[in-house]
Amino acid sequence: MAAELLRRGLSDHRRALAAWCVGIAAYVALVAAIFPSIESSPDFNKLVESYPDVLKSLFGIAAGGDVTSGAGYLDVELFSLMLPLLVLVLAIGSGARTLAGEEDAGRLELVLSYPLRRRDAVLAKGAAVAAEIVTVCVVVGIAIALLDPLVGLDLALGRLAEALGALAALGLVYGWLALAVGAAWPSRAPAIGVPAAAAAGAYLVSGLHELAGWLDPFRFLSPFWLVGSSPLQSGADARGVLVVVVAAVIVLLAGALLVERRDLETP
Amino acid sequence: MLEPAAIDTVGLSKTYGGKVHALVGLDLRVERGEVFGYLGPNGAGKSTTIRLLLGLIHPTAGRASVFGLDTRTNGVRARGHLGYLPGDLRLSDRLTGREQLESLASLRGSVDRALRDELCARLGVVLERPIRQLSRGNRQKIGLVQAFMHRPELVVLDEPTAGLDPLLQNEVRALLRETAAEGRTIFLSSHSLDEVQHVADRVGIIRAGRLVDVDAVESLRERALRHVTITFAEPADPSQFAGLDGVRVVSTDGAVLRLSAPEPAMDGVVKAAARYRIVDLVSQPADLEEIFLELYREGDDGG
Repeated sequence: MAAELLRRGLSDHRRALAAWCVGIAAYVALVAAIFPSIESSPDFNKLVESYPDVLKSLFGIAAGGDVTSGAGYLDVELFSLMLPLLVLVLAIGSGARTLAGEEDAGRLELVLSYPLRRRDAVLAKGAAVAAEIVTVCVVVGIAIALLDPLVGLDLALGRLAEALGALAALGLVYGWLALAVGAAWPSRAPAIGVPAAAAAGAYLVSGLHELAGWLDPFRFLSPFWLVGSSPLQSGADARGVLVVVVAAVIVLLAGALLVERRDLETP
Repeated sequence: MLEPAAIDTVGLSKTYGGKVHALVGLDLRVERGEVFGYLGPNGAGKSTTIRLLLGLIHPTAGRASVFGLDTRTNGVRARGHLGYLPGDLRLSDRLTGREQLESLASLRGSVDRALRDELCARLGVVLERPIRQLSRGNRQKIGLVQAFMHRPELVVLDEPTAGLDPLLQNEVRALLRETAAEGRTIFLSSHSLDEVQHVADRVGIIRAGRLVDVDAVESLRERALRHVTITFAEPADPSQFAGLDGVRVVSTDGAVLRLSAPEPAMDGVVKAAARYRIVDLVSQPADLEEIFLELYREGDDGG
């Protein structure tokens, strides 16, 4: 019965999700199309080498990494910032909309007057958010795998799968955080603001902890640091990805418990 | 062992932020098979009561049960017996009426499809158009169908005929009466006595979060004042009316006489007026706020 909420959630967002997939695939194609010209300019590595350390560490340009290789190029151009950013915007938007947004619009009242437990509603909606994130990551994977032979990225498909897994884990933890915040507080604004601020903070900690020593102890709290910053070159940190997924599950379960305690808000 | 009532609340209270007393110590018992009208002006606590019964909000104090099932600890089973039409119905705008009802049926788990189709036909539900294109009344019909389509033991309706034309209002009243005749229970909230008086057996009146009075609908109607405006062919003597029991002359304006009278006094009013030549006679039910004032006045007299 709560499964209907999963179906409904996916169906309600299917147009937006399709648009996201097309947009991200187009962006990936654009980035890939530029690769041949980067590959043929050996000076590019020198240029990148001369970047300030702050920029290098924010964009995940590892010491000894080669940005003119397919893996290094995509790590810097896609996996260090743009893809996590795009997936997080989708995940947080979806997590905030599916519960807090529905409540703000007054549509939760009728649904929760039906004989289903609120926590099951939260879990079903969480499943819908997860399905959207996985869909986008799969589309990105297919796009990159198809472009690989065309522009000569020369990627290891295993590494690509790891990178996408790490990407999905990041989407999951912030998407479910948005859902859980909406479950705990009846408003859409914190459901977007809290995970967005948490993600921005975690991203900075991950990028800058080596340069700013006082941030270093906090790196364990950053999902970005946990999953690893250059997945195509050095692989994702499998244990880190697992930790992030477990954290995401805990956040979702907390939301499912907190939603039972509070009053449903009238718009 | 007494069979549990359809609705039973004991000291049910809801306070917001420690100071806004939306509902104060509600003790209410609605028996099975009863049509109970729940009357009060906007903001009196009607919707708060209903949302407590549905477990959408939690009581600050007291408890509520539906067929003996506590709404807090046994809410899912309690809601299984319920059909609910919210006062401020919000549906999924992009869906068609059919998709919305189908989705709600899946959410419910078990729905009597034949009954649903019959209800749709009876109320003339627009099924094939997106809900965002529908008028308030047409959305309301979808809300009514979903409240009845699983043949619930208790139907809770918050202002059910809002936005419906008079013909459909009658159809809904007929539906309510049939439901009650099958031994099922109806809890009908409204701010208008007119909406409940033709179907309800008993009426509870709530004001500022407190249940002021519970009474059979007939006795409430008897006490409810009518505004009577009589236009005579020539000026009439108002003292002829002022002497009648419960009648108050509000104003005389030439040949136009305005007075207020409870239902039992209407016969005397008309007979007194009949001694003169009458051009026009209009009698309107007083609105709820005036009934409240009347109730309070009685309370003051007694206290």
